[in-house]
Amino acid sequence: MAEVEKGAEEFCPKILVFSTNNISDVGIDLAGGMHMHYPPTVYVISVPCSSGIKPKWILYAIEKGFDGVFIAADGTDCPCLQDCTDRTAKISGEAQRLLKENGFNPVRLKMAAICSVCAEPFVNHIRNFYEALKKLGPSKKGEVKDEV
Amino acid sequence: MKYDALVIGGGIAGMETALNLGDMGYKVLLVEKEPSIGGKMILLSKVFPTLDCSSCICTPKMAATSHHPNVTMLTYSEVLEVRRKGKGFKAKVLKKPRYVVEELCTGCQECEANCPVNVGDEYNFGLVGRRAIFIPFSTATPRKAVVDIDNCVLCGICERVCPADAIDFTQKPEEIEVEVNAVIIATGFNLFPGEKKPQYGFGRFPNVINAMQMDRLLSPTRPYNTVLRPSDGKIPDNIAYVLCTGSRDRTVGNPICSQICCMYSIKQAQLLMGALPLADITIYYMDIRAFGKGYEEFFKQAAEMGVQFIKGRVAKIEEKENHNLILHYEDIDNGGVKKETEHDLVVLSVGLLPNPKIAEIFKDEKLELDSLFWVKQVEEDESPARTNIEGVFVAGTAAGPKDIPDSILTAGAASTEAAAYIESSKEE
Amino acid sequence: MSERRIGVYICHCGGNISDYVDVEKVRQVIEKEEGVVVAKTTIFACSDSAQQEMIDDIKEHKLDGLVVASCSPKLHLFTFRGVAERAGLNPYQYVQANIREQDSWAHTDDKEGATDKAIRLVRAAIAKARHSQPLEPIQLQTTQKALIIGGGIAGLRAAISLADMGINVFLIEKEESLGGWVKDFSIMYPNDRSGREIINTLINEVKKRENIVIFTEAELLSKKGCPGNFDVKIKSKGEEISLTVGVIIVATGFDVYKPKEGEFGYGTEGVITLPEFKKLVEHSEGGEIKYNGKPIESITYIYCVGSRQKEGNTYCSRYCCNATMHTSILTSKIDPSIKQFHLYRDIRTYGKYELLYEDACKLGSIFIRYSEDEPPIVKKENGSLRVRVRDLLTEGEELEIETDLVVLVTGMVPRENSSLTKILKLPIGRDKFFNEIHPKLRPVETGVTGVYIAGACQGPKNSTEATASALAAGSKAAGLVKKGYMELEPEVATVDIDKCVWCGKCAEACPFDAIEKRKLADKEVAYVTEALCKGCGACVPVCEQDAIEVKGYENSVIMGMIEQLIREAQDG
Repeated sequence: MAEVEKGAEEFCPKILVFSTNNISDVGIDLAGGMHMHYPPTVYVISVPCSSGIKPKWILYAIEKGFDGVFIAADGTDCPCLQDCTDRTAKISGEAQRLLKENGFNPVRLKMAAICSVCAEPFVNHIRNFYEALKKLGPSKKGEVKDEV
Repeated sequence: MKYDALVIGGGIAGMETALNLGDMGYKVLLVEKEPSIGGKMILLSKVFPTLDCSSCICTPKMAATSHHPNVTMLTYSEVLEVRRKGKGFKAKVLKKPRYVVEELCTGCQECEANCPVNVGDEYNFGLVGRRAIFIPFSTATPRKAVVDIDNCVLCGICERVCPADAIDFTQKPEEIEVEVNAVIIATGFNLFPGEKKPQYGFGRFPNVINAMQMDRLLSPTRPYNTVLRPSDGKIPDNIAYVLCTGSRDRTVGNPICSQICCMYSIKQAQLLMGALPLADITIYYMDIRAFGKGYEEFFKQAAEMGVQFIKGRVAKIEEKENHNLILHYEDIDNGGVKKETEHDLVVLSVGLLPNPKIAEIFKDEKLELDSLFWVKQVEEDESPARTNIEGVFVAGTAAGPKDIPDSILTAGAASTEAAAYIESSKEE
Repeated sequence: MSERRIGVYICHCGGNISDYVDVEKVRQVIEKEEGVVVAKTTIFACSDSAQQEMIDDIKEHKLDGLVVASCSPKLHLFTFRGVAERAGLNPYQYVQANIREQDSWAHTDDKEGATDKAIRLVRAAIAKARHSQPLEPIQLQTTQKALIIGGGIAGLRAAISLADMGINVFLIEKEESLGGWVKDFSIMYPNDRSGREIINTLINEVKKRENIVIFTEAELLSKKGCPGNFDVKIKSKGEEISLTVGVIIVATGFDVYKPKEGEFGYGTEGVITLPEFKKLVEHSEGGEIKYNGKPIESITYIYCVGSRQKEGNTYCSRYCCNATMHTSILTSKIDPSIKQFHLYRDIRTYGKYELLYEDACKLGSIFIRYSEDEPPIVKKENGSLRVRVRDLLTEGEELEIETDLVVLVTGMVPRENSSLTKILKLPIGRDKFFNEIHPKLRPVETGVTGVYIAGACQGPKNSTEATASALAAGSKAAGLVKKGYMELEPEVATVDIDKCVWCGKCAEACPFDAIEKRKLADKEVAYVTEALCKGCGACVPVCEQDAIEVKGYENSVIMGMIEQLIREAQDG
């Protein structure tokens, strides 16, 4: 398990969020519009649809130093795909497998459907994730052993 | 200014009509009397039977309407009159002053945060208050502030705090004249005012609310964090729905069925079962009209979730000291016995009434309304969008109660018939 | 990578951003980024003066990329793309960074954190701009022709409306004659017009229009191509004909439910369906309705036959309560002495049709409500037809009704259409009717762009509703082809044929059938038909070779942004 550095500055987990242009990004905007607060170490990259997120981008983010990745998925609101939820779940599964394979704790990836007015659910998810990551500590390669 | 079509009303039917015509290449002027488009739909929580979040499916239409290269959107404006000109029309449109310069306003709400006035919020149907300068709701399109000049005390605070210098109290109403080939009426409906049914105590008993208020309590842009009952702010746990309030009722002058109340009540019941898992929900009905695609299954689902359905029209409602309510009704399925049950919150499933004021703007040929004052569909079987005036069409609930898919269909019909009319008038 | 020349503008948003984010500091830091030639702050980036300044800067400094760090792109993406266009810069080389809704407004309690975040967000936007390529909207010429499948009331009405908008129509009808079910109906609700008459009027209108071509005894054999340009093959009277059309409207209608032998007594003499009863009413004369030569004195209607079933057809057939009520009124008017009993579950005379229910009651019909769990039983005893039912409206009393006729109010069922479904890849719903892409907002569109569904093939409805649906399909179809061209967003999938090994996974993953195998430069690779691609990216995660990407969201862009977001904000 990762060790939290003792005596170091308070650890502020860095979270990368993948949002979707027409659905969850609108919800995240609404959170700001309603002046809901969440930690400033949360960054959003918006893509067309959560079914198009590559697992290797998630691994890359964690390898580069992000402590957690959150997929703000389209859910049933997806305008393109009827089975978006299933596909996004598959991508999450694949990404978690990749993380484990590379020695990272798969709980560093979270996914939830965020609709275009889901400001409150988004903020709650992020805050909870942030606290969980704080307890877990900074991401470190080798923090979990991959049982092959 | 010339346009191919004038669409009166920016609710779901108006937006759909404008977008269809715009996509076909026609130039459209959309006039909406409220400060934002979206009509009633943008104020709802979820829609039946899919339980899609209403704003989620409405806001893309609103964004598309405001950005469409062929659609000019005028909000906070009203059509004053429409007169015949050749095969087309000339119309006078009044642009009401917002006292805010739209081009400069960035929607930051600093003005709203500093305004000292508090009045009832019509977009939350009286549940909460709002300021005299405000953005109607967070999903408003355009997201620009507007001053309610009747309640404004002219203190000037908003002017001072606005970072964009967008407040301008010298604005005056502006009248513009446009020439159009076709007109589409999409002015929607009015809700039945609960006070007209005094037996139910709406307006007197604080815990008797109407379904629109309940929808606001359940929506994502809701006034409180949960469903609270007005008298004491407690979370209700025994909620009653009174269907057919103001519909199928000759005593209030509306004998027809409002078509959507059974479904929206079942929808709200399902949402309440989710939001308040310990609550009991009872729906008092005459007939359950779950006739559309997926509706019957939605109804069955609600019953399975534990919503109680009791056949029996509520005759009257009384209030107890603790503001709980007693409903008097005939329990038809159990011998037709007269019964009384106690509930802590009552929702009146109010019906839809017409918006007959639209007829007043047609000055040359009179717009025909049907016997119940809805816009008359003169050739319903072959041309459902036609009105008695050549070149004037109707879309959505302006012609009669209907749900959202039917509003979209009739908007499609109106845009097609208007397009055919525009083509024929161009040939001359 | 050739040297980029990017201009960056950081907006104060009149304090909405600058009150919490030190915009000048952000400017100082990002000014040193690779490729940044212009770095400015501005009070209101969206203002006319700021926009003009950007245009001047683009021209003067020959910028090939533009970044504006301000409010959400939902508000001003098109505004600033417009600025780029007016300055001669490709609009897809403009990137917006959201430092208001997703920064200053959400972190008003931490100015240092908000500023650091802004630096990272702007750097990520610059990285995206650095990797951006100029893109042109995909312009497709569209054929201003439509194929309508089905010549019933919906198909005919759609044909007339499209023809009036200048679109050529080919209408194919399976049967020998046009008019579907409605041509055989006499008086219909709600306006008491004759179905026959309505169809004849529509057929005459069709004949008047030279740009409508009708094929009877015809069916669809195949469809190829893409929206705006479908190549279809039809067979009419034995002859095969090839056509090119821009859009297809399916209006194949419904079928009537046929009760099983014994269902509510069906098969027994005197038990007929509603359509069969309507024929009797139509042929009535001399103030009598006759069945097998004898005048009828009593009728018992049993509602919801073949609809609202526990298993099987779970849906409500929508038209029947109204139709039955209307028929009952007609019956009363012909012979007021006929006793009419309506055995129902819920009376669904919705909207203005409620008045039909009122009138039927006034004219003497008697209504009896039965429970789904205890349906009425129809028996022939001693030569007379009897219906036993427990009436929920009178304390559950069991009634036995002696009746001359039992009319089963039968619902609508979907037509057997399996070959058409396969050819057009039409989705089918739970109720086996064709499924629209979104049940609330898009009732006539399917998941296949350019193919629309109209009328009862989408779900049970009456003739006026079918007409409205047909007109709505017409407007969507016209929206696609009327201008003569379609403009599609260029952010579509693209294949690197060097990396592609054609494993077929992307084609399988694509929900829009936009990818197929093609031979290019002597290699079998994946080929994306841009007109069909919606840019969703579902193909991207399944490719093991990293050979397929969505333009604007390539690996270089995403990973470049990740690198910038993780970088220390103040590393100089």
